[in-house]
Amino acid sequence: MKISILLPLLAGWALSPVPAVAAEPVNRAPTAQDWAAIASLPDLSGVWSPGPLDRFPPGSKTAPPWKPDQATQIAALQRQEDEGNPKNIYVNCLPEGLPSSVSQTLNSVEFLVTPGRVTILGEFDGNRLRRIWTDGRAHPADPDPTFSGHSIGHWEKDALVVDTIGFLPQVFIPMGQGVGLPNNGDMHVEERISLTGPDSLRIDLIVHAPKVLTGPWRVSRTFTRHRERQYDLVESSCRQGDYFDDVDARGNAVFTSIPKDAGGAPLPPDQAGTPSP
Amino acid sequence: MILKPQRNAMPRFSPRLIAAALLLAGPAVQLSAHHSFAMFDPSKPMRFEGTVKTLQWTAPHAILWVQAGKVGQYEAGLWSLELPTSPGNLSKMGWSRTSLKPGDKVIVEINPIRDGRRAGQFKKVTIVATGQTLTVGAIPGAQPPK
Repeated sequence: MKISILLPLLAGWALSPVPAVAAEPVNRAPTAQDWAAIASLPDLSGVWSPGPLDRFPPGSKTAPPWKPDQATQIAALQRQEDEGNPKNIYVNCLPEGLPSSVSQTLNSVEFLVTPGRVTILGEFDGNRLRRIWTDGRAHPADPDPTFSGHSIGHWEKDALVVDTIGFLPQVFIPMGQGVGLPNNGDMHVEERISLTGPDSLRIDLIVHAPKVLTGPWRVSRTFTRHRERQYDLVESSCRQGDYFDDVDARGNAVFTSIPKDAGGAPLPPDQAGTPSP
Repeated sequence: MILKPQRNAMPRFSPRLIAAALLLAGPAVQLSAHHSFAMFDPSKPMRFEGTVKTLQWTAPHAILWVQAGKVGQYEAGLWSLELPTSPGNLSKMGWSRTSLKPGDKVIVEINPIRDGRRAGQFKKVTIVATGQTLTVGAIPGAQPPK
């Protein structure tokens, strides 16, 4: 019965004109074989704590090869860094993007390997979330600019090799923990994520930023694996620290803004006014 | 009254390192939760007694709210003591949301905010009843910055 009803419908569909435009590409459903194939990939499970932080002061051998035009800006930024008052990489809880989310993070990350994709999750809401497509797709011709860009990757033995374009021009290239200069457009990042031991991993980055660098900048970061549950990543909302838990007049649990000083430090509510001498 | 700062209350890290640790998570602009700690004065460490109001267990920086009597030139009242990192990293250092409970009598060691308000950067706390101390150090397993 069902078939007899369906047949004319199917016939009509088959006879309908071929659409003039190609069908939208789809993400096909993974098969059992797709899931099984993941078992033979490098095991990136667990929580990865970042290793030593490097700094890239101008003139050092680790520094990005800045163009001469950047020199005066860099001197001013270096002063901010030296004074312990760096202001410009982390702005309003916006994501730092690549390469800083790898080279400068002080928080752990985890890698979720699923068919056709690797997802990198950091410990701060959207600040450190990356999707790396490993399903063979190419970059879009004109990707929407984002903090972490558009990433495609493939596996080479023990390494995930990633290529990323489509960055916002405002995304910084770091020269220290808290300072750096924007890439100003056309940034391209090559990345090799590889296991270097049973519980060690290294990410090698090659940053191409033709608007501000004279050539490629190579930077690496190491990570150590932890399986203790104490290290499990937790929810971290970058704005939650702007509020304290409160109860409104109707008895509802609400967030109330914490008064801040000009630099962003929290203040007791009765200290919100002009500083006392 | 201000208790004399103890030798071991001095910063374990350089100001630059602390500034770096502060940036653990995110951002730094006026009124943003994530910011530099340049407004705190490491050259005038303070140590005083108080009572925990709450340990605010939030990212990017946890905040210890402590009620204290008159401390030197400071009137009695509530203090905001900002920790340099988030619950994610504090958990890895052995802290928990209940490490400090409302009503706990504590001795805190801080770097006060430069403008004279009752606010500061948390450095160390001693729980009077147990003598237990809590500090914020490096993330276990992660190597310290170069």
